[in-house]
Amino acid sequence: MSMEVEYLIEQLQKKAERGELLYIGESLNRVDDIEKILGKPIYTADILPKQTLYAKLVHSTIPHGYIRSINAANALNNSKVKAVLTYKDVPGINESSAVIPDRPLFADRKVRSTGDIVAAVLANDFRAATEASQDIKIEYDPLKPIFDPLEAMKEGAPLIHDAGNVAKHMKVYKGDVQKGFEASDIIVEGTYSTQFQDATPMEPELAYAVPKENGNILIVGSMQSPHITQSGVAKALNLPLSRVEVIQAVTGGAFGPKSDETPTDLGAIAAIGALKTGRPVFVNMTREDSMIMHTKRHPSITKLKTGATADGKLIASQAEMIMETGAYASLGVLVIVRAMFHANGAYEIPNVKNDGYLVYTNNTFAGSFRGFGAPQAFFASESQMDELAKKLNMDPLDLRLINMLRPGKRTSTNQLMDAACGLPECVEQVVAASNYRKKVKEYAEQKGNTRRGVGIAILHHGNALGPEGNDYVYVHLNVDRDGIVYLGTGLTEYGTGAISGLAQIASSIMGCKLDRFRIDRPNSLKHKESGPTVASRTTAIGGNGARDAAEKLRDRLNTVAAKLLDCMTSEVVIVDDIAYSSSAPQKRVGWNEIVDEAYRSGVSLNTIGYYMAPRCIWDEHTGLGSPYSQFTFGAAVADVEVDIDTGVYSVRSYYVAFDVGRAVNPRNVKGQLYGGTVQGLGYATMEELVHKDGRVLNPNLKDYYIPTSLDIPEEFVPIIVEKGGAIGPFGAKVVAEPPIVLPGPAVRNAILNATGWSVDSLPITAEKVWREGHK
Amino acid sequence: MKDILLEFKVNGQPKKVYVDPNDRLLDVLRDYLDIKSPKEGCGTGDCGLCTVTLDGKPVLSCLTFAFQARGKEVTTVEGLGNGKELSPMQQALRDAGAAQCGFCTPAMEIMVTDLLKRVDNPTDSQIKEQISGTLCRCTGYYPIVEAVKKIKEEER
Repeated sequence: MSMEVEYLIEQLQKKAERGELLYIGESLNRVDDIEKILGKPIYTADILPKQTLYAKLVHSTIPHGYIRSINAANALNNSKVKAVLTYKDVPGINESSAVIPDRPLFADRKVRSTGDIVAAVLANDFRAATEASQDIKIEYDPLKPIFDPLEAMKEGAPLIHDAGNVAKHMKVYKGDVQKGFEASDIIVEGTYSTQFQDATPMEPELAYAVPKENGNILIVGSMQSPHITQSGVAKALNLPLSRVEVIQAVTGGAFGPKSDETPTDLGAIAAIGALKTGRPVFVNMTREDSMIMHTKRHPSITKLKTGATADGKLIASQAEMIMETGAYASLGVLVIVRAMFHANGAYEIPNVKNDGYLVYTNNTFAGSFRGFGAPQAFFASESQMDELAKKLNMDPLDLRLINMLRPGKRTSTNQLMDAACGLPECVEQVVAASNYRKKVKEYAEQKGNTRRGVGIAILHHGNALGPEGNDYVYVHLNVDRDGIVYLGTGLTEYGTGAISGLAQIASSIMGCKLDRFRIDRPNSLKHKESGPTVASRTTAIGGNGARDAAEKLRDRLNTVAAKLLDCMTSEVVIVDDIAYSSSAPQKRVGWNEIVDEAYRSGVSLNTIGYYMAPRCIWDEHTGLGSPYSQFTFGAAVADVEVDIDTGVYSVRSYYVAFDVGRAVNPRNVKGQLYGGTVQGLGYATMEELVHKDGRVLNPNLKDYYIPTSLDIPEEFVPIIVEKGGAIGPFGAKVVAEPPIVLPGPAVRNAILNATGWSVDSLPITAEKVWREGHK
Repeated sequence: MKDILLEFKVNGQPKKVYVDPNDRLLDVLRDYLDIKSPKEGCGTGDCGLCTVTLDGKPVLSCLTFAFQARGKEVTTVEGLGNGKELSPMQQALRDAGAAQCGFCTPAMEIMVTDLLKRVDNPTDSQIKEQISGTLCRCTGYYPIVEAVKKIKEEER
């Protein structure tokens, strides 16, 4: 045998001792990035069919009111304009909403925000459609708008929806919080607020529809969840699901809003236009359209109260969070659930009372965004921990070490932490890497106008859908005649590399090289519905589907190889495209020989894997129970420098350790730690989508700042901790969302450490820091 | 009215197209010449994803009128390599995991190529300065910076 094969076998045996396979834990190159790097035409706008009409969406100009009339006559006089669509053109049910049916596709009777879509103009080119959109005359009878969620909750407030302005009240009640506070030596209280954040995927939402000769409608777009778009379009067009083919094009970032209503809006409007005109229709969204019309991160106001003993043991925590969802509930009804499950931080606290309210206003709507309620919750809880530490005259790290979740401790919902709780290791490693203790001592001695400070924040993050839905997935694998493996699933790739991770898992099991894999474009008619691509669930849940499919194929491959090698099936080892018998390793057959023989002998190399996560049991009335099957843990330290004369500050260094269970591909895990953190630093320090009188004031990248390469910390240390979880493949836990959570509180606490000033509202601008210090 | 004759070179090839006075260079590249690597992330010159070079200098093709390219040479990512295999610069980006969603990647490549033409061993801050007008929402920029440093190391 060649040295190379011997080396591989040795590696394989080492991995086997850990109960693992060859490519698990290796930073292999992803299988789908070459065409991106070569600049190939793969995104939605790159692959428009010929003769496509362009659609420009027209949104409401007022935040609340009745539509009296829509007059498109002037627009239709323009020879380039082919059609104007309104609610009257919807053949099926005029609705596009995620959970509660509270949102029309096209506004019909009433508008509730300036993001409501009233019409779409279809023209030969986008410029003509945009110009003609100015000629649509819409008359409104305005109603009194409400922009303050606290006002909206008051008795007698004008109703935005008939069912009331509170869309959801979520509770977590454990023990007796009143008794807990009575038994406390020290109580701290605070109010923490967060802003609208825009996800700003670099590619805005886009979709086109093509009427097919067989009566089907084809939709191609930038989206997270093609099957959600399929069912939304089928409903709006009154078509059976089997007639709606939705293909996810390569997608230029997503972060949440591309799993909510917008891809359905675009798909349905394109499809209605295509069926009406008989031509392909492309619904183009400018950056401004996207920032006005898609969902954002919910602003929040959280009143938090914490009670502890004099030696720092937490006894009681009470949270009341008002989460503003804007005009529609979207996924907010689930965002508030996750927020309440995590509202007291990653600590064991015997008495808890959390009340979360999802409240309508006439601002544009909020929904899914990386973190899904956790950033708001942990900003409050982790900020308050530092206020408590200050009152106790204790280091914030020590207060956390006393109370944080460890194996044997229980969460706010009374869920028991088992050996997979890697929070202590995360804290230990991030403290060591950042020299936290030494810096705290050094920085305490500072005098001048420029002050350094360190801040720590920690988290737990319930994995995957948990209480948010049935967590199942299908993964299709098909080996073609050339030995190329096609991996298809209803889950989508939009940047993370997670689908490539599924291929990495499958290739490890099947024993063929990763570069044999191709990702099938997710297609609603070809691939089985696998739930939404959200909640960072692709690796932890989808990986099990890939494993199931690969194991099925592996059994067949072994049988075929055994015949070729003239050995027992149980003796077959396939590694890196080569099969041999463990009893006679000199004889070898290659991957293509096995595939050839399978095709000759009637063995199918086409299969579907399936996985469904165990159901999570919790009580809807008290919130108690085990809402998640496993948790990710994390800890971060921010090191800041503050100019106390101006409030201007910068994050000099950032250290982060995450327990991801098992990193299937460590480089891609670090990609999430980098990217999630920087998006979280944007949230912490600069990003705010501002509404005034219901209008978005800064729907562009000139006035809405996201971090550039000059805004990132000079030093960034990402650390991976691996405490295998209960359900993910090889112990993998989720990683894409949690890193965005920690920068807010870590930076806030570092500024507190540097200056003694507590900034309790995000984003932490220089002005807020200065005002806090000059009250 | 597409009544302006635009003669220019794109990736070394002479091109002749009739354009509208309002057409942007981005539209001409994408819609007339089928060159899709320059992306429209905003259309207002804020994201940098439509960056191409005009006579060797990076420009935002969404803020450049097509006629401004008359008699000049435009280079896009399609013209950086042979279109099939990755160049050493592109391979370094791949090896660092610098392309996640990939939407900013072509513009990043234009900016990186421009930097390496002028600076032999760029420092972190030179690299960050160079790509500071090119927004990326996936990577946090670290893998891109790491990749650029690797390119030079490999060449040394």
